[in-house]
Amino acid sequence: MIYKVSYVVVGGDFPGGIKNETEKPKVGDVVQIGRVKFQVTEIHEIIPPRDDFQFLHATVKPLVDEKK
Amino acid sequence: MELVNMLRGAELFHGLDTTQLGQLATISQSETYNTDDVIFNQGAAGDKVYIVAKGQVEIRFDNQKGHSQTGLYLGAGQVFGEMALLDQGGRSASVIAIEDGTTVYGISNQDFLNLCQTDTAIGYIMMRNMALDLSFKLRHQNLDPSAGL
Repeated sequence: MIYKVSYVVVGGDFPGGIKNETEKPKVGDVVQIGRVKFQVTEIHEIIPPRDDFQFLHATVKPLVDEKK
Repeated sequence: MELVNMLRGAELFHGLDTTQLGQLATISQSETYNTDDVIFNQGAAGDKVYIVAKGQVEIRFDNQKGHSQTGLYLGAGQVFGEMALLDQGGRSASVIAIEDGTTVYGISNQDFLNLCQTDTAIGYIMMRNMALDLSFKLRHQNLDPSAGL
């Protein structure tokens, strides 16, 4: 299965991205969009799957370094 | 065969059989870019459609106020440059590689249209997939308040 994922950043002006993933993203996953890393907060199916392709919308938030 | 497998993993080519993918592979040319390399500029004549094989690209355009703005990032399996193929207009945005070793495959518009006319099944499938991809990008834009595309 190939997951075509629309990543949307919550808040701010940072644009989102679209890319294919070989594994289905999960809440908590870290993903790099552009030059910045984000954490996935929500996953939804955008449109019904077609054969080997599944179409997802993922909401992400900037990755916060918890050590700070 | 590696290129055929890469093409198979892009939605643009969904529905094509191995022979048809092989035909597309013969007219696809690999291009590799490093961070901040410009693949094409907004306003330039569009003579190719591209598929990202590796890395990410930034779609950047001048907004109505004349300020340069990033609209979207595209990663593996995504297509760009298709608008110029469809409407023969200039590039609607600039595209910039944002990772070293970003690899894209370019297909010249003329080669692509020749292939579509020779094998109309390829033409039908790919034009449909291109419309679906544009639809997906519009849905993304509707969900992404920062996307000023």
